[in-house]
Amino acid sequence: MLAKTLLATTAALALSLGLAATASAQPTTVRIVSKDLLTTNPEDVAHIERIEQALAERGTEVDIEIVDLPSSGYADALGVMLLSGDIPDLIYFQGGDAKMVEQGILEDWRPWIEQTEYLKDGLYAHNVARLENYPYLLYPYPVRIPQPVIRREWLEQSGLEAPQSVDEYVALFTAIRDGDFDGNGQDDTYGITSADNTNELDAIFNQAFGVTSTWMKNEAGEWVHSRVTPQERDKLAFYASLREEGLYDPEYITTKWDIKEDKFYTGRAGVILGSSMEVIDIYGGKLRQVEPEAELVLLAPPEGPGGRGLAAVDVSKESRGFAMSVLSENKEAVVAILDFLASPEGQMMDRMGFEGEHYTRSGDTIEVTDKISTWYARFMATANWEAPVVWQSEAAVASLDQLAEYYTPDNAFVFPAEYAADLDATENVYRSWVYKFISGEAGMDQWDRYVSEWEAAGGARLNEYARGVLDE
Amino acid sequence: MVAGDEQRFDAALDDGNVPIDSRWDAFVRGLRRWWPYYVMMAPGIFFFVVFHYLPIWEAKIAFEQVRIIPPNIWVGWKHFETLFTSPVFWQVMANTLIISGMKIAFVFPVPILVALLLNEIRSGPLRKFIQSAIYLPHFLSWVVIAGIFIAALSPSGGVVNQITGFFGLAPRSYMTDTGAIRWVLVYSEMWRSGGWDSLLYLAAIIAIDQQLYDAAEMDGANRWQKIWYVTIPGIVPTIATLFILNAGMFLSADLNQVINLSNDVVRSTIDIVDTYVYRIGLQTGEYSLATAAGLFKAVLGMLLIVVAHNVSKRLTGKGVW
Repeated sequence: MLAKTLLATTAALALSLGLAATASAQPTTVRIVSKDLLTTNPEDVAHIERIEQALAERGTEVDIEIVDLPSSGYADALGVMLLSGDIPDLIYFQGGDAKMVEQGILEDWRPWIEQTEYLKDGLYAHNVARLENYPYLLYPYPVRIPQPVIRREWLEQSGLEAPQSVDEYVALFTAIRDGDFDGNGQDDTYGITSADNTNELDAIFNQAFGVTSTWMKNEAGEWVHSRVTPQERDKLAFYASLREEGLYDPEYITTKWDIKEDKFYTGRAGVILGSSMEVIDIYGGKLRQVEPEAELVLLAPPEGPGGRGLAAVDVSKESRGFAMSVLSENKEAVVAILDFLASPEGQMMDRMGFEGEHYTRSGDTIEVTDKISTWYARFMATANWEAPVVWQSEAAVASLDQLAEYYTPDNAFVFPAEYAADLDATENVYRSWVYKFISGEAGMDQWDRYVSEWEAAGGARLNEYARGVLDE
Repeated sequence: MVAGDEQRFDAALDDGNVPIDSRWDAFVRGLRRWWPYYVMMAPGIFFFVVFHYLPIWEAKIAFEQVRIIPPNIWVGWKHFETLFTSPVFWQVMANTLIISGMKIAFVFPVPILVALLLNEIRSGPLRKFIQSAIYLPHFLSWVVIAGIFIAALSPSGGVVNQITGFFGLAPRSYMTDTGAIRWVLVYSEMWRSGGWDSLLYLAAIIAIDQQLYDAAEMDGANRWQKIWYVTIPGIVPTIATLFILNAGMFLSADLNQVINLSNDVVRSTIDIVDTYVYRIGLQTGEYSLATAAGLFKAVLGMLLIVVAHNVSKRLTGKGVW
């Protein structure tokens, strides 16, 4: 009897230990939702599989599950999904994150990043600043500031050097307007165009006119929004003069991004601005479809009466990026995935695609294939990893150098939710007056009227709140 | 039920004079008799139940503070108070009423006129060609239509300004003109739906008894008089029904249209309840506030249907129920 009992006990123990062993061998499932990361894309699936495999080789068994969301209207669909209670472990936000933070759904990245081997060293300066101010979003990519490009042939045809000052930019725009470089027999090419608003122009002209940051001190030494400063007025007067001279596309406000590109490719605008090195390469690629020999040249921000540089970078928070759910039971695994992706091996995978397809290796020599242009990093492009081969265009690479040279952090900060209506209203007032000034519907002598309207729409409250924050 | 009863019941069913206590029987018998039609109707019913009736229950979040981690917190009328004390909301309501009013006044009659005109075209091929041409815009998305209108109304090279320029008028930027943009919404809606919406009226006109036209002919009526005394009275029930249904949609001035035709200059002029709900609800995540705005709009829409129904009953004797 005793023998039978012992046998049964031993068998039960062995069985339970076996089950426990099986359970512990089960990989941790990490659910990821990200824009353009889809189970319907074989490249995405294969990429995720090799990440799992690489992590397994490092002793971390992870089963990464992609949560499919449509790329079109991604931010809206994500909000609805999260509201329904379906909260993946790693979430890519493109807006709408503030409401989640308000409800305490998103994890503070800082203590987690501190523990990583690679990720903490892979962040850019703007990432570090943004994480200090808003530690819920992580987006290890170069900062995005629009930078101007022109066809090399057109710049040469103008007979001018690449512009270095505001006056030289005006000279270049004038040469484009008068030179008929597109050869259609008409002087119908604008020097520059932008999409929807003047944000792209601001990227290169803000510093030149002394609009150095979002909040600036007035003559009385008080903080005021830069949009109501004399420097802003001078900048807008300059834009208005460009429009009046036929150098700036007067229909920028109804120009969407695709129309902006079309105007550039078809020779209706000489200079456009691209927001990142990838975008600049896309412009170059599309341009070569109509002009096979075309090559883009990156232009530098101009020296002006107020200085020189690219617009100050808002470091109050990431406008997009990855967040980790506080509800996740697999936070260590999430961080392990990101840390692996920040490692040299992970960056090679994430930024260069698949060997044999996007690049080939012969000994120590790596060469990219034509398909490299279709690959893009799904998760990050860290600051401290250098690709073994450079395949981007000269203009695209130069844009990164220029970003590093002219990087200036802004003093913008996140307003509390109760100021949302004021922000919305002042934005509308500013945008509509900018168009009025540029189009000539309002003269610059109406500047004071605009300032009064802006302050009445909530600007005065914003200024007051900013003084409280910035004077601290 | 004996055979005689069954026959009487069928006759009553056909006449629509089914006694109240036999309604369930009537429904079941009707289901048996007309089941193919019920099967055809099922997807539509399913759609409305799932996407229109079930969500009504979730409209309760207008009275709650939504928590992603449940439970939601009951806040009563707080979101409605926030809405009604916001000057932006009343501006948005005013825009919605103005734009919807303009559409009812200027867009609603267009399909009726188109149908009447199409009915007068005697040449079959010409009629088919015109019908095909005017139905086409209905199948274009607002993104495409916005592109067409922005190009056509461009002050530099747009066809409209070229035409007005021919008459010596200065170019005008209609898309950035706060006085013109609402008319752009009205006209683009007219262009998109005028042809397609005429289908219903055309069907109603075709259903008018030919003998009425013959009798009018014998009485010496000319074409205009036949339109006025035969065709228009013949389609009044259709007009009334569609007007009442349109009244329910009165506060829905078309989100897609406004978003695609909007820009920084005219945004405050054409910001409507739907764009406000989209911006506040989906883009900033204030779902409760957005639901409150949507619910307010829906209740007003329902009231408008009731009012329009009663007015129509009084004026034409026809309503929707």
